[in-house]
Formats: sequence, structure tokens, C-alpha cells
Amino acid sequence: MEELAVKMQGITKIFNQVKANDCVDFSLRKGSIHGLLGENGAGKTTLMNVLYGLYQQEAGDIFIHGAKAEVDSPLKAISLGIGMVHQHFMLARPLTVVENVMLGRKSRRGILLDTKETARELQTLSDKYGMGVDPYSKIWQLSVGEQQRVEILTALYMGADILLLDEPTAVLTPQETNLFFDTLRQMRDDGKSIVLITHKLEEIIAIVDEVTVLRDGKMIGTLNMDESVTKDQLTRMMVGRDVLFNFKENTRAPGAVRYCLKNLCARNAKGVAALKNFSLDIREGEIVGLAGVDGNGQSELCEVLTGLRPLDAGEITLDDEKMANRPPAYFISHGVCHIPEDRHTTGLAMNWDLELNLILKCFYKAPFAKHGLLCKKAIEEYWEKTRAAYQIKANCGGDTARSLSGGNQQKVILAREIESEPKVLIANQPTRGLDVGAAEYVRQKLLNTRGNGAALLVVSADLEELLQLSDRIAVIYGGELMGILERGADPYQIGELMMGKKQEVSVCEA
Amino acid sequence: MKLDLQKTGNKAAGAVAMVAAALLVGAVLVMISGNNPLEAYSTLLSGAFSSKQRVSELFVKLVPVMIMGLGISVAYRAQLWNIGAEGQFIIGSIAATAVGLYVKLPPVLLAPLTLLAAIAAAGGWALLAGFLKVRFHANEVITTLMLNYIADYFLDFLVYGPMMDPAGQLPQSAMVPEGIQIKAIFSGLRVHYGLAIMVVVFILTVLLWRSTLGYRINLIGQGERVSTYAGVNVKRTILLTMFISGAVAGVAGWIETFGLQYRIMENMAGSYGNIATVVALLGALHPCGIAVASFFFSILLVGGASMQRMTNVPYSIVDVIQGLIIIFVIAGIVGQGRKTVKRAGRIGKDA
Repeated sequence: MEELAVKMQGITKIFNQVKANDCVDFSLRKGSIHGLLGENGAGKTTLMNVLYGLYQQEAGDIFIHGAKAEVDSPLKAISLGIGMVHQHFMLARPLTVVENVMLGRKSRRGILLDTKETARELQTLSDKYGMGVDPYSKIWQLSVGEQQRVEILTALYMGADILLLDEPTAVLTPQETNLFFDTLRQMRDDGKSIVLITHKLEEIIAIVDEVTVLRDGKMIGTLNMDESVTKDQLTRMMVGRDVLFNFKENTRAPGAVRYCLKNLCARNAKGVAALKNFSLDIREGEIVGLAGVDGNGQSELCEVLTGLRPLDAGEITLDDEKMANRPPAYFISHGVCHIPEDRHTTGLAMNWDLELNLILKCFYKAPFAKHGLLCKKAIEEYWEKTRAAYQIKANCGGDTARSLSGGNQQKVILAREIESEPKVLIANQPTRGLDVGAAEYVRQKLLNTRGNGAALLVVSADLEELLQLSDRIAVIYGGELMGILERGADPYQIGELMMGKKQEVSVCEA
Repeated sequence: MKLDLQKTGNKAAGAVAMVAAALLVGAVLVMISGNNPLEAYSTLLSGAFSSKQRVSELFVKLVPVMIMGLGISVAYRAQLWNIGAEGQFIIGSIAATAVGLYVKLPPVLLAPLTLLAAIAAAGGWALLAGFLKVRFHANEVITTLMLNYIADYFLDFLVYGPMMDPAGQLPQSAMVPEGIQIKAIFSGLRVHYGLAIMVVVFILTVLLWRSTLGYRINLIGQGERVSTYAGVNVKRTILLTMFISGAVAGVAGWIETFGLQYRIMENMAGSYGNIATVVALLGALHPCGIAVASFFFSILLVGGASMQRMTNVPYSIVDVIQGLIIIFVIAGIVGQGRKTVKRAGRIGKDA
């Protein structure tokens, strides 16, 4: 029998009377990569936070290398050889890599810093796993993928032989993901034990030795990964039912150009050029997917296209209407709808009633307002109707938006934007942070909107999603259009464009 | 609907708890001063209702406190922390009095003109802070506070200088003509028809929160990003909100001047500005809540005076209670914020 690096038995963790983990068993074999699969809110992160000492379990025991352990703080976890890399990196951006590693640690040279020695050790460790991290580069200069490697390196340097990785590939391009998986395999072969939290089935199939599936806080089962395990099987365990992976092909050919973007230039919040001569045509009844590594101008583009950000140069034409630098209200009244990237600060007034959020863009119109006064009855009725139609799980329209889960919040936004019968819909990360079921629902609605003749621009970090939805995929890098690919493009080719390799023969007809 | 009631209930319970806590700490202070707190408080309460005059005084105080509280609540709903009600009150009084004294028109025309002058001047005064915020991102807490001082000293300058009553030596202006004064309701009592105007302001505020304008004002209080996203012109709404908020305080100034003193004088705003702020917060920015809180504070003000007379408890206790309520209200707001942040953090982690 192989040695177990971690054994968790009957772990129960309760938040506000909700069981985030309900009597979960979990075992991690030494020297293996173990996938922790489940939808958002299934309790994956909670379970790992319990193991890392961030949460204390209400019931259950933890054994590390066979010995019972009370993990009551991350410090304790680190001393037991457990390291965790969170979804959001915990790095001080103005500092160098080695300074970040040294943060909060005692120097071996008393009151003097042992920077050089630490840097040398880091370099050795980085070389060993082929991570290519320069200990003296500043964090803000590094790409997201490199920052992630710094986080892992830090954990290893602290002496971790059990690594907990929370959705590590969410921010990586396909190429970076492959590189990352190589590193993981190397670490496994070196005897490290790794937990990979994910909701992506491809990753489970690609790299994992064993997988444990959680659903609604309960452990559904643990499988040894071999050829016999199929994607469908995992999906059923994860969702509890079958999920449609293939949507119907677009039955309707795209029509005339609806939204024409010509040589757009704009700056980001820091005043740095974020869009450079960006041109793109979106036709009615068409979904154009916008692929790119986060922070390459996607958000600025969406803001420019909805009037939220001023344009320095260029033209935006909706049918025959000049739209550049008009106020947001003008875009709204001309049928440009927007599913914003950030639900919490932009898409919803979080502390406000749901029914008020639902009429955010039409509160002054009949039937919601008459003679300048709001018509409470019409608003309530509209909420009830919409709640039923979009299956929003909420007690009543007077609840705050904050009280809903992410998926239901997104449904409220989706309902508001789609019900207004958009001519153009700009959707920025419409399924980010949603579970499989809710994401599927959102995608279906986007396709329906296309079917109704709207022109859609969908920005997503999830390449699978773009491939599934888009009629064409545009790739942005450093604020520039790298190229446009037709349906059925090779993900690898998209990945290359995402990393800034310009398409040789430009198909861009703008 | 059931939940709405529950929410309101929770808020009311919170307000009652804050007041109770303030009274409790006040009681300890009364004990330290060597008096019986029960006796002090019962004197305070009975003092406020013991005679016709007292009840009349209750309503005399209620009018400015409640109107200003309502005015402040308009800005607070938009998360614009206007603490300049005092200055706006003063500027409104000055403008109305100046028009009343120096413009020669029949009373039927002059009376509404004085009201318009108060609204325009006080609204403009608050608008100044709004403009500084919109244009230069100046914090409105600082600007409205500073504008209070300017208004205060401007008033002093006027009543000691150009507007000083030629017939006397006191720092006050001449009386406005009788035809444009607000009449007392009962002869021999000070309570005047400003009370009716207070009711009108109350109804207008209730209507405001049911209107699309009220929706906009509430929305910018929810955040600039979401407001811009919704197509609301945030800057214009900030300016408008500040104007309304200031104008309402100006109306209070107009009523106080034309219904009670008939002239402007040094220190005429007293502590109304501060009390109105407390009232707005204690009433959870809801018109009904503000009405109840205003009534409570009127009792404190009127009853406090008789408490001082009848027992050895100094009137300062009333000021202390007022200060304590501010502290508890703010602690409550901050506590609420932290709870929300914590909860949000947890959901974020868990997602």
C-alpha cells in the first residue's frame, strides 16, 4: 500500500448554516497529482482552505503523512510541508521575486538581509523545475503565468512537499498551460504531492492521476484516471445530470455589418495606450469572439464600445449612426447592451433591491414610470415575470443583489440586457466564475440573442467557450488586433496569436 | 412585502437600541453629577409636554430640525456627505430677509419671492460644494464644513454692518414687513404655519423617493461605475442633488426667519445643523424615520431646558446624549459596512 500524504476524514465545514463541506473524505497519495473537480460552490476551495488552516472544520480529522494534525493556521500548514497557491496571487507588486519570498521570514543573517543567498537558492530551485524565474525581476514586470510560477516557487522554497493549487490554469494560454503541466509532472516525479482544483475536464484528463469529485459540498467519488474514464462520466458526477456540450450550428448566416469599428485608439485608466488602431466589423446575427490574455485591451475595448471610456481616435458606426464618444445613455438608447466584466461594481448595485436592478436601464420608461413617478406594481410584476422566465433563484424582488449567488446575479444582468432586444451585445467574460450549469444557460441565451439578429462581441478567457460560441474569433494582444480566425480554428494557432505573433496573411477586411 | 416590513423593523430596532444606549450612558453621567437619572429623565419627558407653551415649543423646534433632516437625507442617499446644512440655512435666511427688506412689492408677490430667494441662494451655496466635487474631486465633507464658517461670518458681517437694524444696537437686522411674515397658528403661542410647510416638505420627500429622479439619486449612492453604466449622468445628478439638499435647508431658514424671529441675527442657526445630521442618520434616511427622530430630538431640546430648571442636572447632558447618538449611529454604519465586506470576502473566497 502506498503512503498517503494527506488523509482527510469526515470533514464538515458550515458557513451560516450552509454546509460548504458535508462529511467529505479525501486522500492524496504521495507523489501523485490529484484533481479536485466540482462546480463553483461545490466546496473545493473550502476543503483545501481547511487543509491549509485558513478555515477550521466543524467535524472531521486531518492526517498528514499518517500522523493526526491540528491545522489551525497557515503557519502550521507550512510547517507541516503544505503550500497553497490561491486563485488571486498574494504578491507585493513593487518588490522583486526574492524580496517577496523573503517577506515574513527570518533572515539567517540576523538584522541583515540574506538576499543574495536566498536568490541563489531560488535560482537553483527554478532551474531544477525549468521555471525560468529570475529572482531579481520585479513582480509587476512579470506576466501572469510567471507570477504564478513565483507563487509555486515560494511554496517550494518554504519546504512544501504537498502543493495545493486553486484553479491555476484560469489565467494561462494553452501554451503556458502545457508548460505548466510539464513543471507539475516534474515535481510529481520528484516526490511532491499535488492537488489541482479545477472545473475544467480537459485538465483532469490531461494530467491528473486520480480525481475526487465534489458536488454541493458532498464527496461524490474518487476515480483512478485511466482510459476508461470519460468526460461524460465526470460531467455526470460533477453536475448530477447530462450537459449539452455541443450547441446547434448556426442555422442562420450572418447578415450586413451592424457594428463597425475603425482604427480605435484609447488609453487605459493609467493613461497608457490600451487600444491601438483596432478595427473590426461585427455583423448582425453573428458572434465574434475576442480571445486574448487578460489585460491586453479587452476591457478597454468593451468600455469604448458602450460609451464608458473616451475614444482618442477612430470611428464606431452602428448601422448609420456615428457613436464615437457619445455618452453611455446614447449607446443604451440605440440598443447597445453590455454584460460587464465586473458584476459587483458595474453590472449591479449590490446593496439594492433586485427589482430595481432589473430596471436599471429603463426605469424612466413606461410602464415602470408614469409622470416621473415609479410604478411599483409594474416593477414588481416585471420582476416576477423575469424571475420565472430566467429561473432566478431568489426569495423576492426586495432582496439585495448581494444576497444572490454569482450565477443568479449574472442571470439578472443577462435578463436585463437581453430583454431589451439588443441590436448589439457586448459581453465581457459572461460566464466567468459561474458553474457549469449556469454557464451553459448563459451561452444558450447568447446564442438565442444571435438568432434574433443581434451582433455580439464575446470576450472570454475560456478558449473552449469561444470556440464553441463564435462564428469568428478575433485575437487581441497589447491593444492590437492580431488576426481573425474563422470557425473551427486550431486552438494552438489562437494561442500563438494571443502571445503576440501576428497573423501573416491578414484576413481582416475592415 | 413581508421582508420590507422586516427590514424596516430591523432598522427601527437598531435606532431604538442606539438611543437607549445613549440614554444609558447619559444616565451614568447624571449619576456621577450626583443626581437621580430616573428623576432627571422623567422631568425631561414631562417637561416637554407639561403645558400648552411647551407643546407649542416642541413644534417650533420640530419644524427646522425635521426639514433640515429631510434635506440632508437627500444628499446622504446619494452618498454625498453634506454637513453644511447650517451654512445653507443661514444663506437661505439672509437671501430671504434681504429680499423681504429691500424689494418693494405687494406682499402677495413678495412672500413667494422671498421663498424663491431662499431656495436659490441656499441651493446655490450647496451647489458650490457640488461643483468643487465634480470639477476638482474636492471632498464635500470638507467643503460643506468650511462653507459653514464662511456663511457664519458673512452673517456676522451683515448684522454688525450693512444690514444692522438702523433702529437699534443689537447684532440683528430690521424686521421684515408684517405682510410677509408667517403667522402664528394660535394667538399667544409661538407655533406657526411653518408647520404646514414642514408637512409639505415631508410629502415632497416621500414623493421624491418614488420618482425617477429619486431613483437616480439613490443609484449614484450605490456607486459611480454602476450609475455610469446605467446611463445616468453622474456629475449632473451630483449637482442636482446638492442643490435640492441645500435648497431644503434654505426653506428651513426662510421659515425660521419669517415665522419666528422675523429678522436675521447672530448665531441664528444654533445647533440645528448638527441635530439635523443626527436626525437624518438616526432615521435611516427614511422620511418617516426622520420624522420620528426629529420628534424625539425636539423632546430632548425642550425637555432638557426644563430638566435643567427643575433639577440640578445641567443642560450639557442633552448635548452629551446628542453626541453619543452620533457616535453610536456612526459605529453602527461602520459596523454594518465591515460585516458586508467580511461576508463579501468570504463569498469571494468560496466561489
